Amino acid sequence: MNILIKSATIIDSKSEFHNTTQDVLIENGVITKIAKRVTNPKNYQEIKLENLHISQGWFDSSVSFGEPGFEERDTILNGLKTAAASGFTAVALNPNTNPVIDSNADITFINSKAHRNVVTLLPIGALTASSKGIDLAELYDMNTAGAVAFYDYKKPISNPNLMKIALQYASNFDGLVCSFPQEHKISGNGVMNENITSTTLGLKGIPALAEELQVARDLFLLEYTGGKLHIPTISTATSVALIREAKKKKLDVTCSVAIHNLYFTDEALNDFNTHFKVLPPLRTQTDVDALIEGVKDGTIDMVTTDHNPIDVEQKKVEFDYAEYGSIGLESAFGALQNIFTLKKTIEILTKGKSRFGVTATSINVGEKSNITLFNPDTKYTFSKQDIVSKSNNTIFENETLKGKVYGIISNNKVHLNS
Amino acid sequence: MSELSVNHLLGIKYLNKQDIQLIFETADHFKEVINRPIKKVPSLRDITIANLFFENSTRTKLSFELAEKRLSADVLNFSSSQSSVKKGETLIDTVNNILSMKVDMVVMRHPNPGAGVFLSKHVKASIINAGDGAHEHPTQALLDSYSIREKLGDVKGKKVVIVGDILHSRVALSNIFALQLQGAQVMVCGPKTLIPKYIDKLGVKVETNLRTALNWCDVANMLRVQNERMDISYFPSTREYTQQFGVNKELLNSLNKEITIMHPGPINRGVEITSDVADSKQSIILDQVQNGVAIRMAVIYLLASKIKQ
Repeated sequence: MNILIKSATIIDSKSEFHNTTQDVLIENGVITKIAKRVTNPKNYQEIKLENLHISQGWFDSSVSFGEPGFEERDTILNGLKTAAASGFTAVALNPNTNPVIDSNADITFINSKAHRNVVTLLPIGALTASSKGIDLAELYDMNTAGAVAFYDYKKPISNPNLMKIALQYASNFDGLVCSFPQEHKISGNGVMNENITSTTLGLKGIPALAEELQVARDLFLLEYTGGKLHIPTISTATSVALIREAKKKKLDVTCSVAIHNLYFTDEALNDFNTHFKVLPPLRTQTDVDALIEGVKDGTIDMVTTDHNPIDVEQKKVEFDYAEYGSIGLESAFGALQNIFTLKKTIEILTKGKSRFGVTATSINVGEKSNITLFNPDTKYTFSKQDIVSKSNNTIFENETLKGKVYGIISNNKVHLNS
Repeated sequence: MSELSVNHLLGIKYLNKQDIQLIFETADHFKEVINRPIKKVPSLRDITIANLFFENSTRTKLSFELAEKRLSADVLNFSSSQSSVKKGETLIDTVNNILSMKVDMVVMRHPNPGAGVFLSKHVKASIINAGDGAHEHPTQALLDSYSIREKLGDVKGKKVVIVGDILHSRVALSNIFALQLQGAQVMVCGPKTLIPKYIDKLGVKVETNLRTALNWCDVANMLRVQNERMDISYFPSTREYTQQFGVNKELLNSLNKEITIMHPGPINRGVEITSDVADSKQSIILDQVQNGVAIRMAVIYLLASKIKQ
């Protein structure tokens, strides 16, 4: 693949051309020249777009696509197309499929689906067999097939001894154990954050306490076992504080937060709109403020879309019966820029790769081209026509977002949105 | 003639003060009607109403049905045990099938909070919420306020305590909204395990001592403990609950004033209220039931007049 990118503003603090506008020449997937003006040597494809900015390729640590088992929600191929259209060059795929991805063969199947794709797919295997929370899955075997982490998606490991053993066992091969932060006996049948809004709506609440107990438990376990722990999608102020303290103690813990938990509060549920039914639930403004602070000071390592396509049949029902989750890839860049500066947004979108086994490559001569192309200034109202996913369950419908993606260059391939 | 600000009755929180006033004035008229020898008016001869009960109910269902018949509406009854809901049909499909038979109004009881709100967004009919999970039960709150108004002259300035299982109660929530809208002061009283943690943010007082609560109030609305909604024991035994939160004659007589006792039914005699209290002159429990018909006639009549426009 040979490409000449014309007049692109480079946003990459690791690049010597950071914050400057340059032409970038890519030959056979490698950056061979960066200069104010590069002439096209051999009639290569030229990319010349309005207000073009480029950065390192973006990474998302938590997406779900549905295949196998829930193809009506989305397929792996269309999911990867969605990721490419949204600027992501690498996504970590959750094992919440049917059957659950919990074996070497399953990981191999997922990898085969993504073979030679412009987007790098990083499969996450289940932590326990069939994600039932009883016995460990074959973690080592999945690891050898390419699983980058182990996670029972959105399912708490309620047995603390099992979590202890998981952390100990995975440390043999430096495996990353993920633990969903929710103590399910406390969350009970809750469907949204416990507060004044849940009280007013008569909906059962999930107290912040349910998350914080589990985070505290897992940090205690980690301190005892050693090993590597990732806590996906935290949502409360106290969780941020607990993890901040753990990092001071040098525990090997990382965590993430979903963009919608940085963007909305539980008041958005006022009308019983099931598009706002997500897990962990939308919390209060105090939590949102603490989470944003946690992202800024580095306590929170990754911001994820927690992209989760759900077909309309599972969303257009009574609130209690609706599935949790929102798609998020398509709206990620535009939503983040409503919270953070462009510089911070790009830093967030390119962070955390090494934790999931991806090598970051900067925009410098000699590096493999792994680039996201975008216009950071386009303002638009996010609507169904912006959705690439098969499912339309977006929490950001009708939000005014800032910034549009042009495409990606990755894996010696290019994807450009038409 | 004035009209309601809403096209559905989904909850008290969607109403304003004038709406409640209008419903009460209309109910005054209908209360006079149902005490006539011929208890029926021809107002809604051209209206068809479906009563959809996806959860058990005796008095609310009978009360709505009677109200509809007193207004000369055509009435369809439906309950989930006979329906296709159990065969996997969605709520929207079930209701749209009924509506395609030319039904104008739906009265719905449903176990899920927000079911009425959800339905109102997806079907073309006027919806009356007859209780949705632990969310709202607006006609119950209206008839409760109406009964207080009848007994004490006005709701404004009165002190009302709601006693019992607040956590699982749509009656409590609707009553809080209705009473506050009319300028009453509200207190909730019960074991802490049955009081939502954040209920004080609604501007209600929280009390865990029944005697203190009763000494404070003008009216005590005694709720039933909803064992069927509990996933765990919120108190050790009925006996112990009654010891702390049951109203008996001795307790009432020891207060420094005579308070009014209400209950939305069904009563668990000897649990939250003893028989001698339920049957005493301080109790307006049966007045509530009678007023329920007048209030529901008023609500149906006012919403139907908006359909006709």
